[in-house]
Amino acid sequence: MISTGINGIDEMLGGGIPKGSWVLYSMEPGVDGQLFTISTLFSALKKGLSCLVVLPHTTFDIFKYDAAAKRGCPLEIFNKKVVFIDAIDRERIEKSSRKRKEVQKKWEARIEKLCTENDVDVVFIYVDLINDDLGLDGALSVANTAKTTSKTTVILEHLNLDGKRCIERFIKKYTFDLIISISSSFRTHPHFDYFTLMHTSWSTVPKRSVPFVITEGNVVPYIPKIVVTGPAQSGKSTFITSASDFGVSIDRRGTTGDPTTVAMDFGWLSWKDFDITLYGTPGEPRFDPIVPNLLNHAMGVILVVDATKPQALERARYHIQLIKEKHLPMVVAANKADLPKTMSDSQIRKELQLGEDIPIFFISATRKSDVRLVLESLINFITKFTY
Amino acid sequence: MYNFKTGIAHIDAVSGGFEAGTNFLILAPPMSLAEELAYSLTRPLTGEYAIVLSTNDRAAEVVDAFKVIGGDKRYVGTIDAITKSSSPGIADTNRLMFVASPTDLTGIGIKFSKMVELIFDGDFSDGESGLFPPPVRFCVNSVSTLLMYRKLEVLYQFLHVLTSKLKKIDGVGFYLLNKESFDDKTVSLIKQLMTGVIEVKVEQNVHSMRVQGIKGLSSDWLKFSVQKGQVVITP
Repeated sequence: MISTGINGIDEMLGGGIPKGSWVLYSMEPGVDGQLFTISTLFSALKKGLSCLVVLPHTTFDIFKYDAAAKRGCPLEIFNKKVVFIDAIDRERIEKSSRKRKEVQKKWEARIEKLCTENDVDVVFIYVDLINDDLGLDGALSVANTAKTTSKTTVILEHLNLDGKRCIERFIKKYTFDLIISISSSFRTHPHFDYFTLMHTSWSTVPKRSVPFVITEGNVVPYIPKIVVTGPAQSGKSTFITSASDFGVSIDRRGTTGDPTTVAMDFGWLSWKDFDITLYGTPGEPRFDPIVPNLLNHAMGVILVVDATKPQALERARYHIQLIKEKHLPMVVAANKADLPKTMSDSQIRKELQLGEDIPIFFISATRKSDVRLVLESLINFITKFTY
Repeated sequence: MYNFKTGIAHIDAVSGGFEAGTNFLILAPPMSLAEELAYSLTRPLTGEYAIVLSTNDRAAEVVDAFKVIGGDKRYVGTIDAITKSSSPGIADTNRLMFVASPTDLTGIGIKFSKMVELIFDGDFSDGESGLFPPPVRFCVNSVSTLLMYRKLEVLYQFLHVLTSKLKKIDGVGFYLLNKESFDDKTVSLIKQLMTGVIEVKVEQNVHSMRVQGIKGLSSDWLKFSVQKGQVVITP
């Protein structure tokens, strides 16, 4: 496997990109997605793989500075096994003939020569200008010559000016193993970027969009909203406190004398290359009108129930109904499993009318390792959930 | 709806200036004061911002040009497609960003989005105006150069994206095109993306312009000169 250099994506892909794959990073105009290709390149170089980078739009000097600055790496990374074809080579090739076919042959010969001489493992091609010069079929034929062995991986970056139609054409007409579309909301404010796994040939990951932020030279997949909900006193605030690197809980003494959340809990954590924000709902019925609003725009839900209180499950059914209405991925955390007289998996499943596809974790919300297990399951669910 | 004053009494009196969300092609022959006209229309007034995509001049030259015409450099951002070829290691700042070459449409798109984002986030400059959405004037100097490096169809699509984004942010855009270097088909295609056209001609050393596409404004030729960045309509 070749790492994309973005751990969150590697996880979604089952470990990375299989050697010998055809990969397309398709960027919409204006989205800062160049780091996808650069991350994969740097990851390959660090592993000692031999790389060819085809840059018809720039010189290798400019590329080196830009790529190193973007990734926050020293320029020495390029002392590793890497060769370039850049804008100066393109000019030379373009001037060699006026006939398109001959120009294409020159491109193919140059790429093949460098791949063979340098025993290249991964080829990175910025394909737009070759597409301008030779048309899409010609450009992809040029890229195909890079596959000198069945294990050579070819990664193309292109600027998608055609939108969805273009991606559909790539999927239908050409045999890519992986297509990742990188898009931008271009809402004026707030602005956010996201990537979508459009197609993979080797895994069953469904089409999925995930927002991302760029932090210190890394593409960080970002899950902007996971909601933690459930009946009162089930341990939601404790769950969020244990899970978070930073969090706030707004509690007041409730009618039973125990603290109860009166607005919401909030937690933020950075984990497994995902930035995640948690929102906890209050559990008391008097706050029910705000719970559907808190579920708006959530990417997933953790339902926390008290595993020692069968009588509270009826209340949990109300929360499940809300979650189902929003078609959200959900996992169940059966809390207080370290106490005696807990219900069994089948008992909870029966009471809550849950199918086998929804996992139930028996946890103690005070234990960080337990809550992280639940989060891991939900992230898998979010990134693989079919709506 | 915000109106961008042009500083040209003739236009401002009739229409109040250019409406937010509009794009204008400046169609002009070489050496016709078109660049001066474009920069004059792009110069930010109090509370406004300007972004210049320069494929002909270095960022330093653009900053100087705006200084000469009284544009506050704190509110002028430049995307420079020239300097990197000679100074590959040059780094971006909030107001000066660099792309590899005019062929690098990916880079141009990213830098444009970044600058707009900085303006909207209030991180572009000190002393933000408080106007929201912030009024942004945008100038491409020039479409002619971009056309020399990229295929017409590709550039058309790219400009389509750029003009649409400018509409979304309620900005105003000016796009310089040398009408003598390109055929009618090319000019006509680029025109389709625009709200209006500002045409410039030079006859016997007299510069004239006409504006098409603004309601209520006649499209008669007007003689003009540019004095210290100010467009002056002459009798």
